[in-house]
Amino acid sequence: MKWMVQLYPAAWRQRYGEEFTTVLAEQRASPGLILDVLGGAVDARLHPQVRGEKKNSKGDETMTNEMMQRCAAGGPKLSKEDQKIASMAVVFSSLFFTILYLVLTKIYHAKPAVEALGYASFPAIWMVYEQTAYLRKRKISTQAVISLGIMGAMYLFMLGACEIAARL
Amino acid sequence: MKKTKEDPELDDFGRFSEPALLILISLAEEPKHGYSMTEDIESIAGVRLGPGTLYGAIARLESRGLIQALKSEDRRNPYRLTGLGERALRMRLEAMSTIVRTGQRRLAMA
Repeated sequence: MKWMVQLYPAAWRQRYGEEFTTVLAEQRASPGLILDVLGGAVDARLHPQVRGEKKNSKGDETMTNEMMQRCAAGGPKLSKEDQKIASMAVVFSSLFFTILYLVLTKIYHAKPAVEALGYASFPAIWMVYEQTAYLRKRKISTQAVISLGIMGAMYLFMLGACEIAARL
Repeated sequence: MKKTKEDPELDDFGRFSEPALLILISLAEEPKHGYSMTEDIESIAGVRLGPGTLYGAIARLESRGLIQALKSEDRRNPYRLTGLGERALRMRLEAMSTIVRTGQRRLAMA
């Protein structure tokens, strides 16, 4: 569990990291605890309280700001090699999700969980592009929180919609 | 107690406003470190704050000068309530007790 402190910004870890891990070590691991720490990490990145952390309002910390700046400059500043990697990632992730969807449909038929995967595939492929094009130079923890967090949220949203649709 | 512009507010703490209030109440007794606060808050309010919530609230309280970390040789820094924190706590409790009194009075009339 102690590794989870790595999800917090460096300045935050420098200030609270040691005592935070001490408190964390005294807790019993549970899904609620993991969600609490994840929520705290997202909050610490979105609303920095420790001096030395970058404020979002100042500029280029958020992915949205970075994307907007790059769009305004005529697109992402990607080298040809980066573009090639991002394109290949999109092609392979599309193939992966298509095959996964077909296999699961064959086994489980049109269950909401499978249907939700089909619907969530498109935003998931988009996230793979974001990951390879925009987030590649970020820390692994940042990449994991943004990519897996959004993909997970998209899937849960689609699953909820499919469950509701199945009951109508 | 009259409210001034300089008075600290817990309202802008968002989802951390309730944990922040509980932390201030806990520290009103004596300085405590994170784990002691968790234990104390659980005993007085019946809720156990997770470390993410606890340190989200501590960071906000400290950045606004409502609590202060004390030096310690231990890995766990104790925190104490500052004068500003005490004032914020008094104001919040006063506002809450006004709400409680009004609610009880209206229930008695119902």
